[in-house]
Amino acid sequence: MNLYNLAFNNIRRKKLRSALTMLGIIIGAATLVVLLGVTAGATSAVKAETDQYMYDVVITPASSTGSYLMDAETVSKIRSRSNLFDFREVTAFRENINGNEISFEGVNDWKQVKLKNGTSGVVISQDVADKLGYGIGSKIKVKDQELTITGISNVVQALYVHIDQGTAKQLTDDKVSAIYASTDGDPQTVADEIEEQISGVSVETKSENVAEVQAMTDQALLFMGFIAGIALLVGIISVINTMLISVMERTRELGILKATGFTNREIKGSILFESGLLGLSGGVIGVILGITGIVVIANVLKLTEYIPDMMPLWLILGVIAGATLLSVLAGLYPAMRASKLNVVEALRNE
Amino acid sequence: MSNYIIEFEDVWKTYNMGNTEINALAGLNLTLEKGSFTAVMGPSGSGKSTFLHVAGILDTPTKGVFRINGKQASKLSVKEQAKLRRNEIGFIFQRFNLMSQLTILENLTLPMINEDTQKAMNILDNMGLEGKYAKRPGQLSGGEQQRVAIARALINNPSIILADEPTGELDSKNANSIMQILQDLNRNKGVSIVIVTHNPEAAAFTDQILQMRDGNVV
Repeated sequence: MNLYNLAFNNIRRKKLRSALTMLGIIIGAATLVVLLGVTAGATSAVKAETDQYMYDVVITPASSTGSYLMDAETVSKIRSRSNLFDFREVTAFRENINGNEISFEGVNDWKQVKLKNGTSGVVISQDVADKLGYGIGSKIKVKDQELTITGISNVVQALYVHIDQGTAKQLTDDKVSAIYASTDGDPQTVADEIEEQISGVSVETKSENVAEVQAMTDQALLFMGFIAGIALLVGIISVINTMLISVMERTRELGILKATGFTNREIKGSILFESGLLGLSGGVIGVILGITGIVVIANVLKLTEYIPDMMPLWLILGVIAGATLLSVLAGLYPAMRASKLNVVEALRNE
Repeated sequence: MSNYIIEFEDVWKTYNMGNTEINALAGLNLTLEKGSFTAVMGPSGSGKSTFLHVAGILDTPTKGVFRINGKQASKLSVKEQAKLRRNEIGFIFQRFNLMSQLTILENLTLPMINEDTQKAMNILDNMGLEGKYAKRPGQLSGGEQQRVAIARALINNPSIILADEPTGELDSKNANSIMQILQDLNRNKGVSIVIVTHNPEAAAFTDQILQMRDGNVV
């Protein structure tokens, strides 16, 4: 038996009070996890949806060329420009399959393709499946190559096939439909320079609105964190209250501990351990409930593919560590009071 | 090395009650030899309990020098005082002061410097409490609880036991039994013992009786 066992014992023997104290922390931690998690997931979703518009310049074949693809030499010229970086290429082309004009599009980030069935790789739209009678595992012949369909997307009323960008580029002899890039110069000046120096290309600059949208989602994350933080703070205040009452009730017990030679530091430590334990337990239970809430919300909002983004490790560990640390801090004042008790008066306490 | 377990040199303990100063100890000079068994008696308010609290470093004197086993308590830090209490002093209180939520074995092992369950059980056995290790204080009689308190006082092999009215809550049979145990500890183990009591029958077990009045020994 040591003081830490004794602290654990104190929580156990006052089950209802400990549970009610933890309830405050549980609600706070769960709210924090749900609000921040869902907002983080939504932020992720917005970023995934808008990332394709996040560029400084987009370079496409000029309409005067009559082609929708840039050849490998033009691509190489663009990529060798020193003031461009963070390149993202997209290759899109059309192919006539069994009398139907099908659009093929290279995919860099499969998160942008909503799958109905199957996995990423070669994903056909529902219309392609319906019109051509294809399913997962069917073979589709494109430019003398056979591709095996791996999934069906929820793209409707369009004959689309999504394939890996690498495959798309390879199928078109390294041609590219669009190059997205960032620049460290003024986008409009850079765009003008490229159009002047590389023939047959058209350059557009990005929309500032996209950056604003993404900044707004970041602000929403901060705001939700603030609101949920207040919920956790209310829980922590209940820890201060409980520990103060506990110290008052146990005045005589603390007097006995002092009389039998426990140091002020040891007594302070046991009170802090007890409040920390309440915070840790409440934090862990709150996080488990919060995760459950996230899964339910994600299913209701049909955002299940963003569940991993909704429960980042930093959030889970941060909430547990925060609840524990704040509870330890909440125990500081009661612990100081306990350690400063006058032994003689404490022993007289009824 | 001092032959005294307790030395008080002109020790004062003054309380302020409104505008009035009350001297619970009024220049107390007192020495108790190692291995002595002493009863301190006197009317209520004579300073007996204050003497015991100062001797046990539970309270600090307003002025004067106090030594326990040669160590001057006022020169020690709060932490060192706590360690001295744990290592050198065993307390027995009138109302037992056991931890009600712990078993009697846990009551003994809690203040142990090095947890040794076997040693705790042996001490309880010597107090006639064999087989009651898992009972809680509320399940024992007053006499048994006081024996647990004595066992706890002995757990760290103290140089001195300070007992505040150890028989105050007991019937005469249990009171005699407790005093017998204390006498045996003094005679056979050489533990110095000081008891504060109103009970002349309890005091009769000791080797010397000090009478206190108005904060001093008379």
